[in-house]
Amino acid sequence: MIGAAILKDVQLLLRDRGRLLSLFALPVIFIVVFGSMFKFGTDKGSPRPIAMYAEPGDARGAAIAKGLGEGFVADPRPSADDVRHAVATGDRLAGLVVPAVGPVELVIDLAGPVQVRGPVQGALTAAVMRALAPPIPMPLLVEAKSPPGIAKPLDDISPFQVTVPGNAVLFGFFLSMTVAMTFASERRSGTWRRLLAAPVPRWKALVGTLVPYFVIGCVQLAFLFGLGALGFGMQVAGSVLGLVLLSLAVVLCAVCLGLLFASVGGTEKQIGSTAPVVLLVMGLLGGCMFPRIAMPAFMKSLGHIVPHSWALDGYYDVLVRQGTTLADVAPSIGALCGFAALFALLGLWRFRFE
Amino acid sequence: MLTLCGLGKDYGERAAVKALDLDVVRGEILGLLGPNGAGKTTTISMACGVVTPSRGTVAISGIDLAKQPYAAKAKLGLVPQDLAIFEELSAIQNLRYFGALYGLSGTKLAAHIAWALEVAGLSDRATEPVKRFSGGMKRRLNIAAGLVHKPELLVLDEPTVGVDPQSRNHIFETVKALHAAGMTVIYTSHYMEEVEALCDRVAIIDHGELKALGTTAELIDQHAGKGVELELGGNIDAGARAAEAHGTVKRDGHTLTVVPSAGLGAMLTAIEAAGATVARVESRQANLETAFLALTGRALRDE
Repeated sequence: MIGAAILKDVQLLLRDRGRLLSLFALPVIFIVVFGSMFKFGTDKGSPRPIAMYAEPGDARGAAIAKGLGEGFVADPRPSADDVRHAVATGDRLAGLVVPAVGPVELVIDLAGPVQVRGPVQGALTAAVMRALAPPIPMPLLVEAKSPPGIAKPLDDISPFQVTVPGNAVLFGFFLSMTVAMTFASERRSGTWRRLLAAPVPRWKALVGTLVPYFVIGCVQLAFLFGLGALGFGMQVAGSVLGLVLLSLAVVLCAVCLGLLFASVGGTEKQIGSTAPVVLLVMGLLGGCMFPRIAMPAFMKSLGHIVPHSWALDGYYDVLVRQGTTLADVAPSIGALCGFAALFALLGLWRFRFE
Repeated sequence: MLTLCGLGKDYGERAAVKALDLDVVRGEILGLLGPNGAGKTTTISMACGVVTPSRGTVAISGIDLAKQPYAAKAKLGLVPQDLAIFEELSAIQNLRYFGALYGLSGTKLAAHIAWALEVAGLSDRATEPVKRFSGGMKRRLNIAAGLVHKPELLVLDEPTVGVDPQSRNHIFETVKALHAAGMTVIYTSHYMEEVEALCDRVAIIDHGELKALGTTAELIDQHAGKGVELELGGNIDAGARAAEAHGTVKRDGHTLTVVPSAGLGAMLTAIEAAGATVARVESRQANLETAFLALTGRALRDE
């Protein structure tokens, strides 16, 4: 019976362009767009031009321009006002005005987001200090190292290492809406009634409706990660088994959430209007659209109330940190299984067969 | 074939079905009639194991549905009122799924599907998506999905709703052929003439109770003998209200079909006293509809 249910639901899915689009095409579009928008790790793009004015022949100006570092390049301007104008109009991210005497003026929009402004302001301040301070031979004072227990990241982190799992989790959980819609649709059409009239145990009727979506969810994640690896150069830095088990836990959790939606959701229209909002908020809190590491502390902690954050933490480890083992991602897998059990219990408690 | 014993269902304080006793004889077509909300669908749902009864028992072919649900359900085929099929799939894909629910597989399933398609007259459209079918063809597939496992008892809930005359005739002929082949059928319908033409016996349900059970002739003889048609003039509303106090009344414009509870004379006096005039009095030919009206006080298509 379960085999027939899988076949039936796969056949239905293949004829439903809307569902195919939301499960397979939309995540790919999001992966490509977000992957192109953000940079993670070493920025191999062009250095960013910094508007700069210094008095002609000024030694300080020449030293600063030379010492800006690999991330920036000096863009000489004819006057100080021209530098300020370039920053004010957004033509340049920041500028430097080097007078004949006195402090160097760092021109930057102080109202800009700290995530954008902070690194630029810090890097330019350091570059100016390095260029103007007298060279003093000093021993190495600061060296960045990951603490014990945290594996070293890949040397070259592609943006797709982050956007593929982010969107796979976001859209993977959209499977729960499809599951709930299926229950609602079968109730409306009367096929659920027919199923209950058949010599099939009720638990089997329920499992027979859920299992096809577990299979579809696995195919969806395999497709997205496969495309990420083959099409976008995504690498797996840690255990492949860890990645597989984590993905199975994500799909299980999404299917159980679907059962919960089905048990409280009502009609297809009600599910269609509420589930996407709930799923988007969960995705947002979980860091699917914006990295949790850049969120305020409270929001970062709040993220742990949704399974998405656990899934993404696990994916980040296994995709980015070298040598990540199955044991390293076990807490994420455990948390996802815990969420799945909670959703399933609540769903079963509320579910009405008749 | 099907025995309902003290069967009832409560929804909160309301008893949708009170305590229904009914025996469906093997090989017969039993018509189930009742106004909307009478409890027909709830009764059928309990009989098929879709809804758990609040009280009473169901036995299919002598097998207790509560004790051996799978063995009992295997003998029964349900054709719900709604089009309980997957419109995106083809007829054959639908039947493959519904057949598998009854444990059919392989060549046996293929043979059953071929038979069900033949019965439904859909063999030549078997691989087409159902969404391209006409309303009548969908209805026929709905029946085929309930038949695919060749049940001993087929329950048809309003099988001809919204179908064209051609498909309706096909469904009629199908039911007759299945009956001739020995299948037991329970048939609910809003169309009195269908039940009258098809069914060996008719059960009339109202307010969750079995009001009458018998052959069409028995029901007409026992309950429809006093039907009279009156044509009113003057204050028709007041006249109709006065008539209702003296029997069951079905109104259609200025015509009343009445079954007086006492004598017709008392009813006519009351109508005229209310300000209406009786322009015509005609004894109505007794049929199942007048019997139904007498038993339920409502026309079958009334809400």
